[in-house]
Parts: sequence; C-alpha cells; structure tokens
Amino acid sequence: MEKITGAQALMKSLLREGVDTIFGYPGGAIMPVYDALYDYKDSVRHVLVRHEQGAAHAAEGYSRLAGKPGVCMVTSGPGATNLVTGIADAMCDSIPIVCITGQVTGEALGTDAFQEAPIIGIVTPVTKWCYQITNAAEIPHIVAKAFHIATSGRKGPVLIDITKDAQFELCEYDDSIQTVMLKSKHDPYYQKKLKRAAALLNNAKRPYVLFGHGIALSKAESELAQFIEKGGFPAASTLLGLSSLPKSHQLYVGMLGMHGNYGPNKLTNKADVILAIGMRFDDRVTGKISAYAPQAKIIHVDIDYAELDKVIPAEVAIHADAKEFLAQLTPFIKSKNHSAWIGRFRKYDEEERKVVADAELYPKSGEIRMAEVVRLVSEKTKGRAVIVADVGQHQMVAARYYGFETPDSYITSGGLGTMGFALPASVGAKIAGPSREVIAIIGDGSFQMTLQELGTIMQEKLSIKIIILNNRHLGMVRQWQEMFFEERYSFVHMENPNFNKIADAYSIPNELVQDRRTLSPALERMLSAKGSYLLDVMVRRDENVFPMIASGAGVDEIRLT
Amino acid sequence: MKYILNIKSENAPGTLYRIAGLLLRKKINIESLHVKEIDRKHHISHFTIEIFLAPHLMAKLIKQIDRVVEVTHAEYHRAP
Repeated sequence: MEKITGAQALMKSLLREGVDTIFGYPGGAIMPVYDALYDYKDSVRHVLVRHEQGAAHAAEGYSRLAGKPGVCMVTSGPGATNLVTGIADAMCDSIPIVCITGQVTGEALGTDAFQEAPIIGIVTPVTKWCYQITNAAEIPHIVAKAFHIATSGRKGPVLIDITKDAQFELCEYDDSIQTVMLKSKHDPYYQKKLKRAAALLNNAKRPYVLFGHGIALSKAESELAQFIEKGGFPAASTLLGLSSLPKSHQLYVGMLGMHGNYGPNKLTNKADVILAIGMRFDDRVTGKISAYAPQAKIIHVDIDYAELDKVIPAEVAIHADAKEFLAQLTPFIKSKNHSAWIGRFRKYDEEERKVVADAELYPKSGEIRMAEVVRLVSEKTKGRAVIVADVGQHQMVAARYYGFETPDSYITSGGLGTMGFALPASVGAKIAGPSREVIAIIGDGSFQMTLQELGTIMQEKLSIKIIILNNRHLGMVRQWQEMFFEERYSFVHMENPNFNKIADAYSIPNELVQDRRTLSPALERMLSAKGSYLLDVMVRRDENVFPMIASGAGVDEIRLT
Repeated sequence: MKYILNIKSENAPGTLYRIAGLLLRKKINIESLHVKEIDRKHHISHFTIEIFLAPHLMAKLIKQIDRVVEVTHAEYHRAP
C-alpha cells in the first residue's frame, strides 16, 4: 500500500466524513495539515476566522443549519485554549462539532515546549469525547470515531489533538476499521411506558407539551406538529426549541422560562399532565424547583438518560429519540380538543399584550425600543429569516418578538450564555445556508467581544445582516442591578466606539439609526442590500425585559412589571 | 452515606481523569481508589471508588458516569 503522511490521512478521513467546510486558523503545530489542505483547496472551503473562539462558534452555527457537524481546526497552545469557550458552549447546547488541534511533537509533550498546552486535560470536562493522536496510523479510525460520537445519541463536541510528528509520519491509509461500537441502552419497559404516556395524555383535562432543542436536533418538527394537532395539546417552547413549531401555529402558546411568556409559565402550575420532550428542565425554565408543577404528572422524554429524573422527577421517564418517540406515540393519541384550557393561555396572552407588549412593539414617542426593531424585521422578512442572537436583553427580545415560521431559524447560545456568540455563529450559519437570509441581532456589549469576525465576513464576502441594538449598557446586568441591587449600577455603562467607522474599515455598508422615522427605511435598505450590511440602532438605554421570573421565584410568580 | 462505585471501562488514557472530573464537579472527595485491567484481550479496566454522597445524588451521579463514552458498565452499592 502506498504510504502517505498523517496530515494527508487526516484530509482523506475528513473527506470521507463528508466535510466540505473547515473553520480554522493556522499556526506552527498544525502546519503539516495546512500544507496537505493546500491540495484540497477545490473540495474543502477553509474559512479563515480572526480568533479561534470564532472558529468554534462558526462551527456551531454551521452545524445548526447544515445538520451535520461543524469542523474547526487550530494550532496548539493558545490556538487550542481559545477554542474552549466555544467547545463548552457546544457541550451545553448539544451541538455536534469536531475540533482538530495541532500539538507539539510527541517527544516534547509534557516539557512545557513552545505553544504547548495540555488541551486534552483542559477540554475533557467540556467535551463529549476527546483523544490525542501520537501515531499516524490511528488517524482514519479516530476521525471516524470522533464523527460518530459527535452525532450519535445526545450530540456534542469532540476534540482530536494531533502531535506534529504524527502529522509528518508516513502511514498506510487503512480505513477498514470504521465500525464504532457504542453502548446502547435498551429499556425493556419502553412499550409499556409509551402506552402509559398515551393513557395519561388521553385522560388529561389540562395536558401540556413542553419541547426543546431535541426537536430540531432529531428533525422531529413535523412529528411534533402531528402529535399536538391530533391530541389538541397546547405546546410551549424552550429558548432553543424556538422555531421548531411555527409561532403562528394555533396550538403554540409561547416560550417558557425566565423571560418567556406569561401564560406558558403561569399555567405550568395548572396543567395536570405535562409531556416534556427534548428538553432538560434547565434552571432558567423551572425557576424554583420545589415550586415547579407540583400538581402535574410529568412524562419526560430525552435522548440522554442522565437527564431523566435529574432535576424534576418524572412519573414516566422515557429514554428515546424525539422523532422516533413521537412517531410511535401519535397513533395511540385520541383526537381531542382542549379549547377551554387553551383559552386560558390566550387570556394570559391578552394580559401580557396589554401590560407589556403593545407599549414596546408600537411606541409612539421616545427612544427606539428593541422590540419594535425586532417586530419590523419580523414583518419585513415574514418570519422566514434565520435570526442569530447573542446573549442578553436583545436575545430575549428577539426570542419573544420574532415570528418564526420555518425550522432552524433561531440560533443562539442557550446553556452557556456566551456573549460574543452571534457574529461568528452567523458566519457558519450563512455558509451552511447560503440561500437563507441570516440576520445577526447583537447587543453593543456582545458585539465588542468578537467583532474581529467582521474581517471573516469581508474576506468570505458573506451576505450577513448585522443589527446592533445599542443601549450603551450591559442591559441585562443593568436590569438586575435596577431590580435586585438597589440601582447600584456597577460597571454596566459602556463608552462605545463608532461602529459605523468600524464597519467602514471592513468595507461593510452601514447606517446609524437614531430616530424612529428612519428605522423602517433603513431596515428596508439593509434587507435589499446584496452583501453584508450593518445597522447600529440606538435604543432606549434603561429598558427592562418583562415578563420575568425573578431568580429563586417559582414559575407562577412570573411578573409583568 | 458511604458508597462504593464499581465501574468497567475501556483501558484508555484519560478515563480516570474524566470520571474524577465528574466527582470534582460536585466537590466529591475520593476516599479510596483502585484501578486494574481485568480483561487483557478486550482491554477492559475495573475501577473501585469509595465516596461519601447524599443518597438522592447517587443515582444521578452514576448515570453521568455511565454516560462517559469509554465506560461500559457502572453501578454502586452502599459501603458496609
């Protein structure tokens, strides 16, 4: 068999996994792989990010739209450590990404060599799996294993660290060992539990379906819709579940959690049977755990059995893939109509609209509100754009007011809450979904954490629309200081640079919007522009996001003011 | 409550570190630890770990250990 280098074996292995895009940043310890990549310029698109954290977030954004793992590749030491935030983010949100890091030579390992970091030791707690390759012959099998682990069961990030000598080493490329055996859990009571779940739901007076990211991850959107339509069940979404059911769906009742909608939270404590699927009862969803749905019989379905009974004890705990489970459950569900029960959600909607939404969606005077910007974007794109939101008030406002109509349309950092996520994630999203309108909605604080990725957008000529909701503050922290820390505003004001000049420097057309009359025309110009476009929108500086479940309060203590 | 964990895993570098990391995350101290390869042909190691833990946390922890890719089997019982 002809011998090739480890670096060439890595490229062949990646191609075998269907990789056509790599987000990366070269450096000393990964140079042999970059040299091999040079020969694959036509089949692999390498996107040169401006900071390795951006590579990890871009891989996440790519994965969310492509439905396959995003791949990032960086050098050893600081290159690898800069990935960590993105890896931890992918771990929290179950996003499959494959990270490849260069490493110093096998001989230099553990000697504090130049740009050596013990990356396996650093990322072990925040990866699903990681492995250090010190010998080229391992490469085909380890790459196959990495992709399999990243995408099977509960998805997540994996990391392969490759020493520089293994990249140079000659090996026979043997890809015959592709089988990866992972243990699988077989539940002998599965059928029984399925029927018990159906019986509970069929006999429920006030049934309630809660769905999360698991729906999008298993592509169960149509199964979910068929299931709730048959049973007439109201359904509420977690932050990462958004867009898995169209907001206009008659059975969709809103978002759960700290800044979710009024009714979905209030009525969590009135439902008699709750089916929670593809969600993990995050503390931002449950509020005070002891006050969470004590009256309800809970059916919890998750692909990760370690999530079952972790936070909220379930009456029926089912370890299953959301898509398969829903397809099997629906035939047992009786056609019903729960209009009186759903009417209670609508009543709360009305109250929320009157007290909170109307004023911020349709203000007549004063400074621009975040909500009206999101409303206009939603109307002008008919709810069909991909919204990539960063972390903070703007993220909650985008979640609350964008009218998602199509799946995979809300990409944001949920579990880890990583500021700086949106701009690089939008790069990955646009590359995975070039035909979709990708709109990054970012706060002024978050934008400044990763704004160097404007360079990537410029170089790759990506048509990404960027809206900065600029309140000159770290708004969410400011809100908490106002509400819970006696208005002691401690380091939340930001003196910002001129974002328009920054955009100019990257040749990205841009506008500053300070006045309500110019907002809608500016959005029109942004959306009709061919390439990327940045809008810096000055919004009210002391806005608070409501409804809100205060930290430590129960879901039914949600406040409108 | 004192518990003994019995864990079988692939005999691979980093597995002990990953399991110990799950204990560290909850600030659980290891009282005693024994690791040995028990199946040379299939490269299977056996871990015996003694820890103190509140009973309601034990069932959650063992699932998180069992979830580790390299782990093939994990169980616990109360220490005598």
